[in-house]
Amino acid sequence: MFSTDKQMGYQCFVSFFDLRDSSQIENNEPYMKIPCSDSKITSAVWGPLGEFIIAGHENGELNQFSAKSGEQLSNIKEHTKQINDIQTSRDMTMFITASKDNTAKLFDCTTLEHLKTFRTERPVNSAALSPIFDHVVLGGGQEAMDVTTTSTRIGKFEARFFHLAFEEEFGRVKGHFGPINSVAFHPDGKSYSSGGEDGYVRIHYFDPQYFEFEFEA
Amino acid sequence: MQGTEDSPAPPGAQGPAEEPEQRDGAPPEPPAQQRVKEEEEREGPEEEGGSEGPREPPPPAAAEPLAEPQPPQPASGRESPEQAEPQAAPEPEPEEAEPEPEPPAEPCEPREDGEAAPAEPEDELSFSDPEGFVDDISDEGAGGGRRRLRGAAPRGAAPARPGSRLLFILFCFLFAELLGDVLKDQPQEADGIDSVIVVDNVPQVGPDRLEKLKNVIHKIFSKFGKIINEFYPEADGKTKGYIFLEYMSPSHAVDAVKNADGYKLDKQHTFRVNLFTDFDKQASTCQGNLRYWLEDPDCRDQYSVIFESGDRTSIFWNDIKEPVQIEDRARWTETYVRWSPKGTYLATFHQRGIALWGGEKFKQIQRFSHQGVQLIDFSPCERYLVTFSPLMDTQDDPQAIIIWDILTGQKKRGFHCENSAHWPIFKWSHDGKFFARMTSDTLSIYETPSMGLLDKKSLKITGIRDFSWSPGGNIIAFWVPEDKDIPARVTLMQLPARQEIRVRNLFNVVDCKLHWQKNGDYLCVKVDRTPKGTQGVVTNFEIFRMREKQVPVDVVEMKESIIAFAWEPNGSKFAVLHGETPRISVSFYHVKNNGKIELIKTFDKQQANTIFWSPQGQFVVLAGLRSMNGALAFVDTSDCTMMNIAEHYTASDVEWDPTGRYIVTSVSWWSHKVDNAYWLWTFQGRLLQKNNKDRFCQLLWRPRPATLLSEDQIKQIKKDLKKYSKIFEQKDRLSQSKASKELVERRRTMMEEFRKYRKMAQELYMEQRNERLELRGGVDTDELDSNVDDWEEETVEFFINEEIITLAEPE
Repeated sequence: MFSTDKQMGYQCFVSFFDLRDSSQIENNEPYMKIPCSDSKITSAVWGPLGEFIIAGHENGELNQFSAKSGEQLSNIKEHTKQINDIQTSRDMTMFITASKDNTAKLFDCTTLEHLKTFRTERPVNSAALSPIFDHVVLGGGQEAMDVTTTSTRIGKFEARFFHLAFEEEFGRVKGHFGPINSVAFHPDGKSYSSGGEDGYVRIHYFDPQYFEFEFEA
Repeated sequence: MQGTEDSPAPPGAQGPAEEPEQRDGAPPEPPAQQRVKEEEEREGPEEEGGSEGPREPPPPAAAEPLAEPQPPQPASGRESPEQAEPQAAPEPEPEEAEPEPEPPAEPCEPREDGEAAPAEPEDELSFSDPEGFVDDISDEGAGGGRRRLRGAAPRGAAPARPGSRLLFILFCFLFAELLGDVLKDQPQEADGIDSVIVVDNVPQVGPDRLEKLKNVIHKIFSKFGKIINEFYPEADGKTKGYIFLEYMSPSHAVDAVKNADGYKLDKQHTFRVNLFTDFDKQASTCQGNLRYWLEDPDCRDQYSVIFESGDRTSIFWNDIKEPVQIEDRARWTETYVRWSPKGTYLATFHQRGIALWGGEKFKQIQRFSHQGVQLIDFSPCERYLVTFSPLMDTQDDPQAIIIWDILTGQKKRGFHCENSAHWPIFKWSHDGKFFARMTSDTLSIYETPSMGLLDKKSLKITGIRDFSWSPGGNIIAFWVPEDKDIPARVTLMQLPARQEIRVRNLFNVVDCKLHWQKNGDYLCVKVDRTPKGTQGVVTNFEIFRMREKQVPVDVVEMKESIIAFAWEPNGSKFAVLHGETPRISVSFYHVKNNGKIELIKTFDKQQANTIFWSPQGQFVVLAGLRSMNGALAFVDTSDCTMMNIAEHYTASDVEWDPTGRYIVTSVSWWSHKVDNAYWLWTFQGRLLQKNNKDRFCQLLWRPRPATLLSEDQIKQIKKDLKKYSKIFEQKDRLSQSKASKELVERRRTMMEEFRKYRKMAQELYMEQRNERLELRGGVDTDELDSNVDDWEEETVEFFINEEIITLAEPE
């Protein structure tokens, strides 16, 4: 599955290929194309069991499209601006969106129920869920096009850690000098990496305190 | 009816003539009612004596209508002739009504009864008996009347209700007139109330012309019915400009109101006629308590916030935990907002004029129509509003600047204005009695309420450069630069006497700035000089001690360039920021009683360009705004300790709350487009809240009126501070533990909900296990190490080249 961008002269389509039929790839003949004329898709992931995809749009909408029929299964609009990234939890029951509207939000994969919101002061480019804790890391910062005139302090190019249930921030990691475009947890949950517009990929291992830290509740 | 002179609540004051519907007996412009709890100590200062029964002080100018025989104020020089505007209806002021009409036996006694009693609005109804008034002087006992009057007084004269109080006092008058010495019978005192009218804008005359006036009045008003009673309140041997008339029946009174309201007696006197009962109605229907916010049990303050780039305006209670929203309105103002000096009104700006809001629900209280209005200024007493618009000024109808009466909404006077660069153009004296404007070589001082030139002429001051009123008395300070051999001069002038109380000559002056201390105890004139034989500018601070005889002056000289100067409000210290970036220092000076000016302390290497004293003095925040990235230094000047050094990055504004307990730093969207937020700090520099608001523009604290506590009471409170602080500490602890408990509680429920959700999701996940296994060809991907059998160990070997380079052997 991939989608095209209408900026490049094509209308935005989601194209589905079945890898078991290698000719589809070779001849670039997807078995299904879903047109998205309203607002282009900016991010998408497969849902659990591969029955549908979850697509995030430029206008902040989220859609579920069936991978068999292509029909739109459900639609919600919780974000006000472009959805930059969608990542699922390891068990694929939940996913987190990162949006230009300065928030990241947690949803249920099947129902698209909005569960949690994580607010920052800058556009969020990427968000990832910890595989071992109820933690989430957000990466972002002032958009690259605005950055030239501002210092890194204003840019806030920081990875920020939130508690998944309380929506409260409990940690920040500085270091990038451009907006963070992508964040990911190591599958073992003991480290994470971030890739920035500054051209660096930073790999951070958590301190022992991170594993001991607990919210008072 | 407390303190009608200053408080914005003259029940008699009413809408301008352009509201004809009022003539049909509809209630006139509701006056701002000031229901202030007497026992509330921090209420409006003007009501002093409001509960003390009749007072004798002569009515202040503000309440005095235009003197009758006077011609309109002559136009001075550049101003066009003032329209002979009828003075806003003068208020029938009960406090000023002398007790002499009272029966001589026990003057004022009913009133005393009344003072202690609480207001019981529903009882007022008993006063207005719907049956027509019957002249019953003879048959019923006046003594009984007194008796009943006494009984009634607690209701009618309750101090908290202006209207009813007025009503009560009128009773006194009526009875006095009606009964004379006959005190034995009992009249039905309430009967006549519906038949009574109040006529405003009646010429003020002395006893010699009173008879004539009465004849004229009679002629006009007996057209509508038989006048059975009349009363002309007097003060200082002159009538007060308003009268009470009583007809045989209420229908006559209604007729009179309908027909005589707006009657032009002559050029300066247009009658305003109202039913007496309407005053009472107004009192109960108007905006409610305009000072309700002072009655907050926790003594919290309010502030206004403009955000979403000006589209939204909200009012909040400042609460330590988090701001509590009171009002939130979209497009409440088109540009910005202003609070009035005592916090009573919130002014919003619109293309078509200014609107004032107030009361508990922030209802609209007044509108002033002025196309394209840009700038406004309140008089310190909150009685007048000055508005400026660059549009529509014509030669013969000046309206660039308009002065309005806030209570009536009436335009008092218009002025021409070519240049608004130095707003405010008109500077007000501290009590709002005078306002002044400077034009080239002229200082024009006007007086209220006539809005005419004081003594009908301006002051000719050649070369006047700047002037400023003392905030503590009617003294004006101004300065003129050097002119050939005549030295530069700073002059202090007492008004309205125009007496020069101090003149100080200065030499080699480049520029002067006038800085008054908030109480008017000191004046500092910052003088930039270029002394002969030296290079560069030297700054002298000329400190005038206003409260001492002859106004002694002392001088502090500084060679460094001065960045900022500020007096300690309510104190005798001042702070100066001096030096060049990046070596900026702050120095604190103390003006001692003997006039010696002592340097208390200098802090070097400060990141600051602005000084913000706490409104209570002692504490000061030095801020490096804008280019200095928002560095903040919190200083206690009692022992000159740096309490905290902090930063609000890119901060553009700093605002102390009116009590000096909190301070807000903010990044306004108007100056910076990102990180728009306001942060709340304690006076010691402890950060309490970070409030991010989308495109936040401006935060303004709601001012408080001056305290009603006397010096002694304040001293006593300071003495007993330990006692109070214990109570407050306990309260704080309670609310804190409650807050943390609440937080934990909230987290717990959140966690529970989340767990519940996770459990459901897990169950679903487990249900799907088989499907998943099938899809993935039997490979279990649920655990990282679930397929250990499939793991393959791979050994990768690669060679490292070895190369030996022989270095040249030492010989």
